[in-house]
Amino acid sequence: MPAPPYRMWEILERARTGPFCEDEAFTMERFLPKMREVIRKHGIEYDPGTPIPSDDGLADAVWQAGLEFFLEVGVLCVDTHRIITFDESEIREALYLIPGEYLVGSGKDSRRLRNRHVEDQDPPFVIFSPDISCDEELFLPMCVAYLKEPLADGFCAPILEESMGLKIKAKTPTELAGSLEHAMSLREAARLVGRPGIFLVAAGTAESDVAQISVSQSDWGVRTTDSRLVGGLTELKIDNALLNKVAHYQQFGCFTGSLTGPIFGGYAGRAEGTAVLQVAYHLMGLLVHQAHYQMNFPFHIHYTSGTTRELLWVASASHQAVARNSKIISVSNGFLNAGPATEMVLYEAAAHALTSTVSGANLWEAAPARNKHKNRATPLEARLAAEVGHACSHMGLTRKAANELALKILARYEDHIADAPLGSEFQDCYDVRTSLPNEEYLELYRRVRAELAALGLVFPY
Amino acid sequence: MEIVQRLVQAVQDGEDEDALALVQQAMAAEMDPLTVVDALTDAIREVGDRFERMEVFLPEMMLASRAMQKALEPLAPHLEQLREKRRQKGTVVIGTVEGDIHEIGKSIVALLLEVNGYAVHDLGADVNALDFIKKAQEFEADVIGASALMTTTMPGQQEIVELLKDMKLRDRFLVMVGGTPVTDAWAEEIGADAWAENAMQAVAVLDKVMEVRRGHASATL
Repeated sequence: MPAPPYRMWEILERARTGPFCEDEAFTMERFLPKMREVIRKHGIEYDPGTPIPSDDGLADAVWQAGLEFFLEVGVLCVDTHRIITFDESEIREALYLIPGEYLVGSGKDSRRLRNRHVEDQDPPFVIFSPDISCDEELFLPMCVAYLKEPLADGFCAPILEESMGLKIKAKTPTELAGSLEHAMSLREAARLVGRPGIFLVAAGTAESDVAQISVSQSDWGVRTTDSRLVGGLTELKIDNALLNKVAHYQQFGCFTGSLTGPIFGGYAGRAEGTAVLQVAYHLMGLLVHQAHYQMNFPFHIHYTSGTTRELLWVASASHQAVARNSKIISVSNGFLNAGPATEMVLYEAAAHALTSTVSGANLWEAAPARNKHKNRATPLEARLAAEVGHACSHMGLTRKAANELALKILARYEDHIADAPLGSEFQDCYDVRTSLPNEEYLELYRRVRAELAALGLVFPY
Repeated sequence: MEIVQRLVQAVQDGEDEDALALVQQAMAAEMDPLTVVDALTDAIREVGDRFERMEVFLPEMMLASRAMQKALEPLAPHLEQLREKRRQKGTVVIGTVEGDIHEIGKSIVALLLEVNGYAVHDLGADVNALDFIKKAQEFEADVIGASALMTTTMPGQQEIVELLKDMKLRDRFLVMVGGTPVTDAWAEEIGADAWAENAMQAVAVLDKVMEVRRGHASATL
């Protein structure tokens, strides 16, 4: 199957020729009323008692609502004030052409990244990622620590704030320097650990299109067996710089990930709208981003996290919707409230991985401390999430059983979301020389893992 | 009085056409425009409070804000003369810094400041540091609000403070910074006057620094 790219140049051209619309009108006249309409029409309703719903009818309703919403609203290019629109036959054709599986990474380190089904018994593909920025001197040890994790199928490195001691500023030469340093050091870390061909998603330090393009270099930088991300603007909007990335990634030949995080409490409103929008983003990813996989991080407007009860429902309902109705490869990104080396962060990681895996997603773990605080991420949170993902698939866990488990795990942290502990920085709970966790954090991890097992989770080892 | 209650309800429900019709009725009934404006202001502030308590979400607040704007249209001729009587808390220019295209956090802060009595000029995203300052001068602002959503765009906030110093305007404007990766430590490091962890805190933080500023101004007058 050839797609993506799927009719890329015809679609990109619509950013110049589509219907004219101003930003405010796009949100107020198209987005808001259509969202209300599709939620009402399809009778979609959030139930706090089932963060992991088992109702196939609900999943299909969320899919259908997302499809209709995307068709009616389209995607606004804020540079040209034109709406990129589609007709249903194009969407059907693009969905039909998805292969549903790619071999990513290279050589002995290559792995199969594929779309999963609801209650799939094959383990999820797990991309380990700290999702935060770090001190320049911690970049290599952090990368090594994550790459040492055996369950990591892929890796996305932390973001640099400084390069050669200079503060990195987007759209300036320092961003080019930082992006280069990021790509080179990441490649070096992968080689050092003995996984030179591991699937890498890079380079997060490169925010601008120019900086991303500068690291497309198969010798020392991002290879065609690696992946890049292209995001959107809140909500269902894009600009020319993002479209430049779309075109470049296809022409360079790497895998494209569509990076989208609908905001619970934002334009999409409550949980129902956030789930519908997440489905629409899968279609935007396929058709506008020309993506090979969709990376999802729906998050809470107040807490910037994805592990509240409502957000677990959003992840579950939207991933079930996509898994039941398409071959789109979905990856679910955990945004956790608490920081590393706390009991809470481990329970949050477990809840996110459990919910996502049983609902048909792959995993991207994890952003602790609300994705906000420098150096506050370690591989142990991601390790536990990956182990939970493997456990649920090996157990053949049903959504119903997973929901019971999720309710028990939620009870361990839900009351502390507003005042979640910040925890420790990487260098305080890891030995930066060996890139291994200290005994104290390991002991906490072992205890929480044992408690999860006592709750009913059967780890394969 | 019944008209005012219905008007408040229409604004809070985001029914802009109803709100407009009710204001027109109020004007036809020769109600005091100041009473109507005060009722509208209270109504929209209540919506802002509900948003903070998570009783309503952004779409409801946006629709209420639009209904409020619509309701104010027939009152425009009266607003100029009312301006003396209505005390605005201050004027803010706000935007997302250069190189950063993320808008929603900044837009929510702008909306919350507006419903809480500030005059707000939203400059949009990817705003050059000098443009923040030029616009602040143009609108005679009290505050420059600069948002950054990426660690690599945060230096844009520092650039505003540095430029203000170089232009000998540092004391003229308060600088408030925010955005997901922005911390109080960063605000302190770059010499910003205020930092808010999220949109909901921004109003309270700004109220406080504005109060200090006013106190300082009257003490030095």
